[in-house]
Amino acid sequence: MVDLQETHKKFQKELSSGTVSLALLSILAQSSEPLYGYQIGKLVGAGEDEGPGVMVKQGAIYPVLRSLESQGLLSSERELSDSGPPRRYYRATEAGQEALQTWITIWKETKKFIDNVLGGDYQ
Amino acid sequence: MKTADELIKTYLVDLKAALRGADKATVQDALADAEEHLRTALENESLEKEAETEAIQTIIQEYGEAEEIAQAYLSWESALPPALAATPAARRSSGVSADETSPAGRSYSGLFGVYADPKAWGGLVYMLISIITGTLYFSWAVTGLSTSLGVMILIIGIPITILFLLSFRGIAFLEGRLVEALLGERMPRRPSFTDSSLSWGERLKALLLGKATWLSWLYMLLMLPIGVIYFSFMVTFLALSLGLIVTPVATLVMIALDIPFTVIQSGDLVWQLSDPLGLLLSVVFASLGVLIATGCMHLARFVGRIHGKFAKALLVSD
Repeated sequence: MVDLQETHKKFQKELSSGTVSLALLSILAQSSEPLYGYQIGKLVGAGEDEGPGVMVKQGAIYPVLRSLESQGLLSSERELSDSGPPRRYYRATEAGQEALQTWITIWKETKKFIDNVLGGDYQ
Repeated sequence: MKTADELIKTYLVDLKAALRGADKATVQDALADAEEHLRTALENESLEKEAETEAIQTIIQEYGEAEEIAQAYLSWESALPPALAATPAARRSSGVSADETSPAGRSYSGLFGVYADPKAWGGLVYMLISIITGTLYFSWAVTGLSTSLGVMILIIGIPITILFLLSFRGIAFLEGRLVEALLGERMPRRPSFTDSSLSWGERLKALLLGKATWLSWLYMLLMLPIGVIYFSFMVTFLALSLGLIVTPVATLVMIALDIPFTVIQSGDLVWQLSDPLGLLLSVVFASLGVLIATGCMHLARFVGRIHGKFAKALLVSD
């Protein structure tokens, strides 16, 4: 028997790996000030509900942030907070802003492509 | 009933267990991220002590199961290019044009392929600067420890000792960044997390008795002899090979200026640079120089790899 639950999970994972990067980069590129992981998580609304629409767990955004940083699209700085633990603040670099424009185009094309393939009935 | 703090610790232990077998540096980064997030989230909720336990359970649930998060780190880590085979965007932002570096994933095989390998160049630079970093590390390590021991009987000795011990950790982190940048060995990208919930005494104890502090100190100490060896060896052989490589040029200059220059005189054998034999020999010497230089590059790449492992063993704690 096919384990559908596993298949859903796999599909979700494969699909989210690119979209989460896009979402995080876009959030940071739009933000006027640097943000730390917890704030970003809140903005993505990650982990808020357990429905099929939930894209990513809050903990899973950190490796993505680090990956974007290592690609030079984000930069980060560790700052002490008044109370509690030090936080790492992320901001989009110039290369990140540039990349985002291209990514948005790619996203739009992908969306159009999928919409076309699925036809009008699926909505 | 466990307290919020205990639940966080349990989660971190689970995460570490789920990451078993992963790169040490990845584990350290993942734990630092998780601890920062969980504690920040808890603090943002700003709750009474009693409600904290409940809140942290939700927070951990939202953060994701240890197994799942570990998977996320592993999958992103394997997709991450090593520091030296960075993506075009990273190259642009670091000021290196895409044309200067080879595409990622290309192998640099063959005797002369090494000249195109950024790892060999990174290793070479690392070996040459190690005499400077090594001297600084050694001086700081020795000064730090002896000063600390000397003033320890005074009250003022305690903060001084703490500052020195903290500096050892800090230098270990910076050296890690240097090692990753030049040698391509994956090193922690975040300093290890200091648990702010611990009391000063416990934190001090961890600093004073922690394996990481003393291994870092040992590394700083060892870097002096290692740096001297790296530097002397590289400079000697690079100078020798450069000298040999320019022999044909020197020969031609000598001939052009008509300066008699006897290179070898032994019995009947007289080798004047301007002789046809002299020219031939100078070409042989130049080839020898190229071989030595190539050998140096291979050595630099090899030493870079070994040194990366060595640095990781001492500077990244489990």
